[in-house]
Amino acid sequence: MKRRTLLLSALALLLVLGGSIGETIAYFSTYAEAKGGYTIELGDSTEIREEFSNWTKRVSIASDANSEPVFIRVKAFCGSRYTLSYTDATGRWSLGGDGWYYYSEIVEGGGATGELQVHIDNVPSTVTDGDSFNVVVIYESTPVRYREDGSAYADWSSVLDSGSSDEGGAA
Amino acid sequence: MAKFKKIVRSPACTAVLFILAAVLLLSSSIAGTRAALTYYSETYTSRVEMYDIGVSLVENGAKVSWRDYGSKADGSWNENTGVLLGNMLAPGEAFKLGKRYDEVLSVTNSGTIDEYVRVTVYRYWLDAQGNKMTELSPDQIGLHYVNLDDCWIVDEASSTPERMVLYYDRILPSGESTLPFTDSLTIDGGLAAKVSETTTVRDGYTVITTDYDYDGVQFRLEAEVHAVQTHNAEDAIWSAWGRHVTIDDGRIVGIE
Repeated sequence: MKRRTLLLSALALLLVLGGSIGETIAYFSTYAEAKGGYTIELGDSTEIREEFSNWTKRVSIASDANSEPVFIRVKAFCGSRYTLSYTDATGRWSLGGDGWYYYSEIVEGGGATGELQVHIDNVPSTVTDGDSFNVVVIYESTPVRYREDGSAYADWSSVLDSGSSDEGGAA
Repeated sequence: MAKFKKIVRSPACTAVLFILAAVLLLSSSIAGTRAALTYYSETYTSRVEMYDIGVSLVENGAKVSWRDYGSKADGSWNENTGVLLGNMLAPGEAFKLGKRYDEVLSVTNSGTIDEYVRVTVYRYWLDAQGNKMTELSPDQIGLHYVNLDDCWIVDEASSTPERMVLYYDRILPSGESTLPFTDSLTIDGGLAAKVSETTTVRDGYTVITTDYDYDGVQFRLEAEVHAVQTHNAEDAIWSAWGRHVTIDDGRIVGIE
């Protein structure tokens, strides 16, 4: 009887002590999460295509297939012996106040501008063997930029790709 | 001494000790239950109390992620982790720098009890291998926050250029949604100006090619929503979120 009483008392004390250990309060809580993003793809590569015949350069700028959309502008130079004039059969080239011809359409990757014809004027009626000419065509591309409303524009202070053809020839 | 032994051995003493032991046992079992509730987390508690807490992250009006205590009260959770920005672009549409995209984020109480909520938003850059690029500025990822002066409080002490922590300052009742905390996302179009140039000669042509510093990197957004019960809210927030807040008339008026 004595041993049983002591055992029960000890057990009760153990339960009391055990029950008081680590008494904290639990709270209802939960959480949710999500993540995502996009890869920025920038950069392009363009090249000039030219054909020359009858004192006329036919110029077009092509963009590589993986290039981002760009705007294009072109300008040609020659020596003082000749003058240049331009013909646009596409209706998409326009002369800017700075002497550049701007292509109005966005050139997508893999696309190309329409043809711009650069005529070499004041060609002598009699050309002697050994006469030469030198016409340089320069083009620049800039990535299409977007306003907050999604409309596109060109920022020509940030030229992405530029090139020139320094083509000379002999009559 | 003999008298004491006599008292101890008396049936009355035995009865008193038994009653005392019973009382101690009963009280200890109550404390034990409370400890068990604590130890086994709110899952067990909510099963007993039949309270279901839940919260959902909402993007442009659609639930993206949620975690709600299961209606069967069997310890299970109804949960889903979705993808942010997943529907930002139409099929075939290319992402455009500088363009403003709708990114309206809010929180819905999808549980059956009222709650307080807070959100943590991360923005950062990853390289092609998925490594975080800490050298690129999170500020170029223009997530536009709204209603900061109305109902969302910025936890300035916890916020950094990469991380924004916001507290909804009022109780979010069951079934209701917060006002949005963001409304749009715009990636700085000036990234296109961060370039390096190389010059090459190809077939008689001089070509200057510009490479973008940000080409091939990925911008990332992460949003976490946390919810906690409104009962004993200050203690609950301290316990669940580790922040001391001051609540006055149901409103969070201070974050310490």
